[in-house]
Formats: sequence, structure tokens, C-alpha cells
Amino acid sequence: MNPVHLELKNVSRAVFRRVNKTRVKTQILSSLDLIVQRGELVTIMGPSGSGKTTLLRLINRLAEADSGSIMLNGKDIKEYDPFELRRKVGMVFQIPVVFRGSVNENLAVGMKLWGYENDIYALARDCVIPLELLNADAEQLSVGEKQRVCIARALANQPEVLLLDEPTSALDAASAEKIETLLLNLRKEKGLTMVWITHDREQAKRTGGKRYFLRNGRLEEDHE
Amino acid sequence: MNELIALALTVILVMLAAAYARRFGIGKEISLSGTRSIVQILILASIILVLFKLPLYWSLIVLLTMVAIAGHTTYTRSGKLDKVFPAAIFSIASASLLMLVPFFLFGIFPLEPQYLIPTGSILIGNTMNVSSLAIDRYRGEIKNRRNEVEAYLALGAGPKVAASACLKQGILSALIPSIDNMKNLGLVWIPGVMTGMLLAGASPFTAASIQIAIFTSIFAADLMASNLLLHYSTSSFFTGAAQLREDLE
Repeated sequence: MNPVHLELKNVSRAVFRRVNKTRVKTQILSSLDLIVQRGELVTIMGPSGSGKTTLLRLINRLAEADSGSIMLNGKDIKEYDPFELRRKVGMVFQIPVVFRGSVNENLAVGMKLWGYENDIYALARDCVIPLELLNADAEQLSVGEKQRVCIARALANQPEVLLLDEPTSALDAASAEKIETLLLNLRKEKGLTMVWITHDREQAKRTGGKRYFLRNGRLEEDHE
Repeated sequence: MNELIALALTVILVMLAAAYARRFGIGKEISLSGTRSIVQILILASIILVLFKLPLYWSLIVLLTMVAIAGHTTYTRSGKLDKVFPAAIFSIASASLLMLVPFFLFGIFPLEPQYLIPTGSILIGNTMNVSSLAIDRYRGEIKNRRNEVEAYLALGAGPKVAASACLKQGILSALIPSIDNMKNLGLVWIPGVMTGMLLAGASPFTAASIQIAIFTSIFAADLMASNLLLHYSTSSFFTGAAQLREDLE
């Protein structure tokens, strides 16, 4: 068995939601545990508002857990420099956000930040981005193309873990299938550890990874 | 007699504006601001009468008080974010005082309270307006572009990189009125200093020269103050772990 890569212990998190102009505290994650081995892919399913996105944001440290600990390579994520942590733990959002500029410039963000020497062409090929799109305005791309750019941009950081927040839910069926295939191939080729949020049980089954259901703030393994 | 007519006219205009603005839900704010401005300017006139006869350091105290009040106004406009108050005071003070110095250093005006206070107040007031606009827009941009800012953060970018597009937009939006004013200077409007000097009997050329010097100084101070303010207040929108604050209203 591969070593533990990512471990969440007793993680709890409440959020404030605005209901009729008053802020209501809602406990969305409650003493949640999760262990992910190096190179493993796990999928997490659950209804809207169940805390799936929040869970990923805690791992990437875009938000802070109220209690509990999150360990990466056996080290509490709070002991990492937050920028270095986010380099190691890449995240792809549900709605793809491209930055102003060309596709090329988007893919080069990681290089600028971290001083890596990445082969943009190889990166584009890996993520099935046609080379003729490299100089195109990223904001003019289709949603599916934008999502591929976002995946490539995250991979340019050479992450160990990739957090995927419903990466195909904003796409049409054909684009969704392409992105799904792309991600599964990337995992195989690069041995990435992946935490994949999806609301589609069939997709979760297709990934072949361990499946969890987020219910009442905790993860339950889905054996169906 | 003329002064009383001018004051009466002002009161009537404030009342009419407030009554009209009520339909937009800002009637109370307009009537309060209008009343405040009338009272404040009358108090200021009385103080200036005294100040003109006092030693120069009193004028500096007055200017610093103006800076503090201006800083607080901008701070309020930011949604009272941490660190914005000192950042606003620093940016308004440094930009406006830096642009004030050449007027007295090169002898454009004699170093006397009656020149120092009005010129200083013009610069402070304008930098306050632009700083308030800039921080308000910056906050709005960060809030509206949360996804973009967080996409940068998720790649390991720091707050300054993540918010840079919002910062640019904040400064640009705040400076649009100043840029438009500069473009239309003399075409659409005759600015205050020039009007005052002309009314006081100065030659149009002298009035125009002084006006353009003040105008460019105002623009430079606006640019500097808004840059400094947004630069130093960026960290207020983020936590120590470079997370975008969730309580941005």
C-alpha cells in the first residue's frame, strides 16, 4: 500500500449563511476524517450545500478549519508556507476562471510565480489544448476549453495533489467526457493524488477510485 | 447683504436636492451632508479669520487635523477595514503635503497662513475624494472578482498578485473624474481657484497659470495617494494565511 499522502482528522467547519438579512451559523463539516494514499483518486459526492467545496478549500487552505487537523505528507498544513502548500496542492474550480491575457500567459502564471521552466507546448498537448489556441484570448474560449486551460495552469505548478471541484459540471456532455478522460489520463501518467468532487455517481464509478458520500458533515464510503 | 443672500440660496438648494433625492433613498444623507457642509464652512471661515493672525505652526496643525479627518472619511468608505485608517492618513498626508511644498519652495505663494491653508485644503480634500473612490471601488472589485482572486491564490500567488487587476481598476475608476476634468479644463468649466482669482480682480493669465499649477498638483497627489492607499491596504482584505476574508461586505 502506498504511504498516506493526505489525512484529515476530526475536521469541523461552520459557515455563516445569510437568511432574511440575518447571518445563520450552519455546521457543514463535523468531525470529518479522510485518508488518501499517494497516487490514489477518491471521489466525494453529496447534495448541493453539503460542504464538498468547503472541504477542498480547507485542504488548499483557501479557508480555515474551525477544528481538527489536515496533514500533507504527515505534516500539518498550517506548518507549510501557505503559498508553497497551494503549489503542492493544486485546485481546479467548478466554474473555470481564466485570467486576462492569452492562453499562453495563463499557462505561464505558475512559471512566473515559482520560476519553473515548463514546456508550455508539452503542457498544452497533455491537456489537449490545440497549439493554435496558445495565442488566443483566454476569455474568448468555450467553457470546456477554459477548463482545460485551468487544469493545465494548475499542472504547470507541478502539484502533488489535485483537488477537483466538480470540474465537468459546468460543461456539456461531450466536453465533460473529454475533461474526464483527460483527468484520468493525467492521473495515470503523472501519478497524481486526486480528490474529485462530483454530484454524478456514474462519473464517480467511472473514475475507479474510492467513493465517499458527504452526509451530515461526515464522509461515508459508498459501496454501491 | 450679498453673503446672506448666498447663504439663503444654499439652504434652499440643499432642501430641494434632499427632497428630490428622497426618491432614490438618499434624501437623509443629502440633507445631513448639506447641513454639515454649511455649518462646517461657516465655522471654518471664523477659524480662518483667527488663524490668519496666528503663527504659522497653527496652520500646520490645522492641515494635519484636516488630514486626520480626511483619513477617517476614507477609512469609513473602506468598510472600516483594519489598517486602512493609518494607510489613508499616511497616503493623503504624504501625497498632498509633498505636492504642497513646491508652491512655497519656489515662491509661487508666500509662506503665510492665508495661502498655506487654502492650498493645502484643496489638495487634502481632493486626495480624500479620490482615495475614498479608489478604496470603495477596490473593495467592490475584490468582492465581485472573488473567484478570480481565489484562482490566483490557489496557484500560490500572494495577495498583491491576486488583487492586482482589482487594484488597477480601483485606481483607474477613481481617477476618471480627475482625468475628465483635466481634459475639459477651460472648455466645459472654469475651475475654482481661477474663478476666485478672476472675481478678486487678478489677470486671466495669472489666474490660469496658478490654476494649472494647482490642477496638475492635485492630479499628481490623487494618483500618488490612491496608489499608496490601495498598495498598503491590500493586506486588509486577506488573512495572515493569504486567504481572502469571508466577511467582506
